[in-house]
Amino acid sequence: MSGDADNPAPVGCDPGQVLFRAISARRGEIWIAAVLAAAGLVFASQASLLEFGDFSLPGPGFIPLALGLATFALGSIIGVREWLRADSGETVELGHRDVLIVFAAMLAVPLLFEPLGAYVTLGLFGAVLLVLVARSSLVIAGFAAVVGMAACWYFFQVALGLQLPVGDVLERIVQ
Amino acid sequence: MTAFDQLVNGFAIALSWKGLLYCFIGCLWGTIVGVLPGLGPLAGMTLLLPLTYYDFFTGLPLDPTFGIIMLTGIFYGAMYGGSTTSILVRIPGEAASVVTCIDGYEMARRGRAGPALMVSAVGSFVGGTFSIVGLMLITPPLAKVMIAIGPSVQVVLLLLALSVIAVVSAGSRLKTTIMVVLGLLLTAIGLDHLEGVARLTFGSTTLTGGLSFTALAIGLFGISEILLNLEQTETIKAITPKFRDLIPRMKDVRDSAPAIGRASIIGFIFGVIPGVSHVVSTFVSYAVEKRFSRHPEEFGHGAIAGVAGPETANNAVTGTAMIPLLALGIPSIPATALLLSALTIHGVQPGPLLLTDHPEVFWSLVASMYIGNVILLILNLPLVSMFVWLLRIPYAWLVPIILIISVIGVYSVAFSAFDIWVMVISGGAGYVLRKFGYEMAPLLLAFVLGDRLEENLRLALTMSGGSYATFVDQASIIVLTSTLGLLLGVQALAWVFGYRKSVADEAEGA
Repeated sequence: MSGDADNPAPVGCDPGQVLFRAISARRGEIWIAAVLAAAGLVFASQASLLEFGDFSLPGPGFIPLALGLATFALGSIIGVREWLRADSGETVELGHRDVLIVFAAMLAVPLLFEPLGAYVTLGLFGAVLLVLVARSSLVIAGFAAVVGMAACWYFFQVALGLQLPVGDVLERIVQ
Repeated sequence: MTAFDQLVNGFAIALSWKGLLYCFIGCLWGTIVGVLPGLGPLAGMTLLLPLTYYDFFTGLPLDPTFGIIMLTGIFYGAMYGGSTTSILVRIPGEAASVVTCIDGYEMARRGRAGPALMVSAVGSFVGGTFSIVGLMLITPPLAKVMIAIGPSVQVVLLLLALSVIAVVSAGSRLKTTIMVVLGLLLTAIGLDHLEGVARLTFGSTTLTGGLSFTALAIGLFGISEILLNLEQTETIKAITPKFRDLIPRMKDVRDSAPAIGRASIIGFIFGVIPGVSHVVSTFVSYAVEKRFSRHPEEFGHGAIAGVAGPETANNAVTGTAMIPLLALGIPSIPATALLLSALTIHGVQPGPLLLTDHPEVFWSLVASMYIGNVILLILNLPLVSMFVWLLRIPYAWLVPIILIISVIGVYSVAFSAFDIWVMVISGGAGYVLRKFGYEMAPLLLAFVLGDRLEENLRLALTMSGGSYATFVDQASIIVLTSTLGLLLGVQALAWVFGYRKSVADEAEGA
């Protein structure tokens, strides 16, 4: 946690790159506690469908139910404590441009990994990050992606014998 | 076969060309991840985990011994590397090097970076070697004792380990506790080991295998760390010392030699604290050196003992941290949790039976740690300029490389795209949680220990006919009280020396 509402950009950050959104630390803490408590409740409800056994001989649902309820209880305690605490004005910065780009690109990787193939997906992923985060030119990013993927193919596939998916599209073309 | 014969056998394996190669790769990569801010030993180990599955040269499955030698090399190599950036740039390469920044950077600013680096490397070597001797002497007898214990004592020990993680954690205890509980909850996802019932899978067949430890570890530590580092765009200006400047003066040797001796013992003792041992030991060592110094006023202004102590202590922890893993099968820090996972993937179960079932793994690991410490000493001093050069590579160029290796590493464990989802989501969640002061180490350690805790709990209750009195029988009480006493004693020492307050004051003042 750093900064305050009047000074959202932390020391050491280039102001040109920063798209920080300063949110109240107290409000953020309450939200996180609520999410954790809700997760505990969901897990507890799932565990309640399993055989509970009894205290002396617990069944498969006993421990997950107890842990789910404990997560709910602890999340609630943290949330209520933050709710009752006076707002100090402290903020947490979320939403840095590069963080959002990297995370969005990463979300695309598992979606495309098997249909497009590992090398095409990761090559595209690398090129996108080089252009948008490292701010290199398209030509350099494309060249680096091709060289990088060739190196990956040689190291993982040829040297280590690791079979990464080639992708349905490429497979159809080959067939 | 005597222990000596087995150690000789271990050296034969570790000194084979393959043993040396894997040890060298581990030490080199460990130093690099230690030097690069934001890449700690855990991220470094997870990134190279896929390399332990297959042999570089034959493409066949790799002998687990070499894989573990490499991963352990990364673990202690990172401790060495962390000091370089602390001294030359005032940026700790990893958490255990935070204290070194105080006097190390002051020395560098006054043109004495060379002696600081030399003393730090020698201290790391002495501390590391001292702890390996301890590991070698303590693990075999401890494992023998542990073979005899039943599931009830195992439950007590595992609960104790988890409680200590929650108690000694640096952040909010409530937040740490919820992370421990969440880790235990996540480990329950998948098939119940005793009855084969699918639990918490929400009807998905993919989840019946449970969540991948590797995916979770890379996500929570590696990915979240990268996301956090992307927010920092400070230009790094490093002081680069020349090789001839490394030689310390006679006064430096006189001041640092006792500090190295004391810190070796401190690091070794503090290595037993689960969760934060390597960080705590450095703070305690710094406080102790200041107490023992004839010139405490020099601390914070370039005192060489302020570099020698913490750097020795954080390396002395590495051997001790391996003892609970190898003798009990209980990892005390995330890095050893990853070693546990790697050993399990290779079909080697750490714990009391390791020394009888796979003695070659244990003894060659011990031998490789001796060799690795020598490699690191040779590697770190002449190549310091190269490591400083690494800091000049823009972080934005390193990010795609690290992420691509992470994705391939996670996928290659079970060839499942679902594991990549786990890594990405846990990375995002870890980033947000860390922003709000939640620690990831307790979650990961609980995730690793959860299965065994539940299995042993239910097994112990079944064996005792449902009586909870089994957890307070004589053997359990002895183990519990002695371990608890030891841990509390160590904690009390830490508080007596007031490491938190005094060093925080120092850091502010420096």
